Formats: sequence, structure tokens, C-alpha cells
Amino acid sequence: MRKETIVGITGNETVIGAGVRVKGNLTSEHDMIIDGSLVGNIKTKGAITIGVNGIIKGNLVARDASVSGMLEGDIKATNNVSIMETGRVRGNVSCSDLAITTGAIFMGTSVMAIPESHTEPIAEATTDSLEA
Amino acid sequence: MYYYILNPAAGKTSVNTIQDKLRDQLKTLGISGEFAKTTGPGDATKMVAAAIEKGYNTIVAVGGDGTVNEVINGITQEQVAVGIIPMGTSNTMAKHFGLTNWQQACAVLAARRISTYSLMAAGQNYFLSNLSLGFETDVEKKVDTAGSSLRSRARHLGQSWGTARDFKTLSCKLTLDNLSIDCDIFSLSVGNQKYQNPLLDNRMTVNIAERPVGRKQLGSYLIGRLRGQIAHDEYATSRFYGTKLTIETEPSTSIMIDGKVAGRTPIAIRLTERQIRFITEKVTSGLPALER
Repeated sequence: MRKETIVGITGNETVIGAGVRVKGNLTSEHDMIIDGSLVGNIKTKGAITIGVNGIIKGNLVARDASVSGMLEGDIKATNNVSIMETGRVRGNVSCSDLAITTGAIFMGTSVMAIPESHTEPIAEATTDSLEA
Repeated sequence: MYYYILNPAAGKTSVNTIQDKLRDQLKTLGISGEFAKTTGPGDATKMVAAAIEKGYNTIVAVGGDGTVNEVINGITQEQVAVGIIPMGTSNTMAKHFGLTNWQQACAVLAARRISTYSLMAAGQNYFLSNLSLGFETDVEKKVDTAGSSLRSRARHLGQSWGTARDFKTLSCKLTLDNLSIDCDIFSLSVGNQKYQNPLLDNRMTVNIAERPVGRKQLGSYLIGRLRGQIAHDEYATSRFYGTKLTIETEPSTSIMIDGKVAGRTPIAIRLTERQIRFITEKVTSGLPALER
């Protein structure tokens, strides 16, 4: 697995760098980048990015989540969840948009919040339309 | 009412040699006041307390970062404003507030644009800009920073390089509010995010830097440092926010506050509710206060 080091933090995101081990729950209004290890839950109004070196044992609540590392816990996102090529997720995912890249491992169930535009019943196919 | 605290030991240009010119300049600008000279470490803090008792509402530190820190520690009333006339070897805070030389700083004082910040505290020592430990502290102790010529700067860079090469990372345990953080650090800094970005709220920021990887990154780190950039922020690899922090390191190491060694680990740091009003070149919080 590649070791990437994040250098130079801009903005006001919380960052756990590679080699840093954290225990406890993180709460924030902003984005979070996890490239180290965390035992605890994360709750943020922003996005969570788990880098290739990131290891989390805990549940995530966020706007978006991207997993390139390992997560043992549930993800509850209002928008998107992406499990990248190197990502490993053991837990349940709840979101409105889920993307799993080839090579990713996802062991759990997913619940999709269906947008209203997708809730209209699908028109039944008629013989006429099939013939056309 | 202005009270000027002059540190005769600060900087390369003796405060004594410009004292008369300074008085004239301040008189011209209509902000003359009482002058007092420090005689040793800790003097400025005591002088501030005495000046506030006498009714002075503006205290001006004429010196470097050390003098400013001593003044900050003497401020006991939030309505008192603090100004800086940079005369030190290291004028990091003055530069941060947009003050480039003593003449311009006098004009800034007269304009009286005020920004308010919450102070940080390490034990009983209050500070505004920065507490650091690790390589940053080590390099301050080992490297001769005197001189601004090309030769002195090259020597400084060479010595910093050697110190960085030999520096052993510190095993560190932090407790930040409810978080427990373990890491090996090259450099660690603690500050108030509002000091770095005036548009943000007062909040404790903890930046951790791992050892720069490779010569290119180390060189860039050291050159940035030499230019006066806050290298441990620019090169941070981890960042946390909170209000209360304890730092334990193995082995115990010195901590530096505003460029001065001010204790050793373990140490407890907190973001306080104590506010300080600084006269700055740039308006950095709310509307300019045009009071006298």
C-alpha cells in the first residue's frame, strides 16, 4: 500500500496525518481528512476523506464520505459515499448516492435515500410500446 | 493616554539612539505619552500593571516579541489597547499586524484600528501568537540567528540543516478536550486560529508536523522558516481544534512562547476568555474603533 504524506494544510479542516493515533469522538462543522488511525466516531457537517493509510474503528456521520483506507463502522451521509479502489468498509452505509470502485471491499448493507424525482411509479410497459 | 514601554536591550538598533526621534514623531502625530524603560526580564509586565492603575488606556511595547509578550501578560483590563513599535531582533508579531518599521508603526498607532483576540495560556503565561516545541525550539537554542546579511543567512541555513538532520523526533501524547492523540513529532505548534485568519472565530489550533521527507522538502521547510514564514503551520501534517490541551513528551522538552523558552513538558494549555485589543495596521475584526 502506498504511503502518502499530506504536506501543507489549507483551510480549517481537521487532519489526522499518517502515523498519528487518535482515540475519542470528533465533531466538526468542517471537512476532515484521516490518514492516521482513529478509534471513535466522527460527526461533521462537511466531508470526510479517509486516505489510503487511514484506519477508523467507529461510525461516521457526514455530508459526503470517501474511503480509500479502512473503516470498521457505519457511514451515514446526506449526499455521497465513495469507496475507492483501496477502500475497505465493514459496516452499513446510508446515503443518497453510493459509488464503489472496482477493487474496493464493502461488507455490509446499503440503504439509499431516494430523491423525490425518482419516486414516481415507473409506467407499465404496454404491448403497443413494446411493438413500437 | 499612551504609556510607552521601551526595552533598551531589544534589537540591533538601540532604543536609546532613536528615543528623541520617537518622541518627536509621536508628538507630531498627537499621541505622545509617558516613556518608561525596562531594566530586566519581567519588568514590562509589572510596568503595565502599574500604568493601568494610573489610568493609562493604551500600552505600547517598544521592542521585540519578548517585550510584546511581557506586555500582554500585564494587561488585566479588557478596555486597554496594546500597540507595538517594532525594535526587536524578532518582530514576528509586529510583522503579522502589518508593522514594518518604527516610523510606520507610529502612524498605525495614531490611526488606532483595533482588533480583538482571545488569549491562550500555558499555565500562568498568556500568549497570543504561538507556542511551539520540537525542532522549532531546538533550532532557536542551537542556531545563531544574528545578522541579516547573505552570509549570516547562509550560515543560519547551514546550521539549521545540521540541527534538523540530527533532530530526533519526540514521542508525544496529547489530550485535547476528549481526544487522546499519540504521535511522533518533528514540530508542534499551538495558537489561536483567529490570529492566523482574522475572519475566523477564536479557537485553539494544534498543528503537528512530521519530519520533512527528503532533502527537497526539508530545504523548502528551512528556507520558509528563514523567510519568517510559520513553517510548522505551512508544513503541518495533522491539525486539530479544541479549547484545552495537555502535552506530554518523551523525553521532556522545552517549549517556546513567542520566540522565548518558557517552560518544559508536560504542560497544560487553554484558550481563555481573556480578551486583548491590539492596534494593527489592518482592520481584522469588526469595524474600526475610532476612539481616543
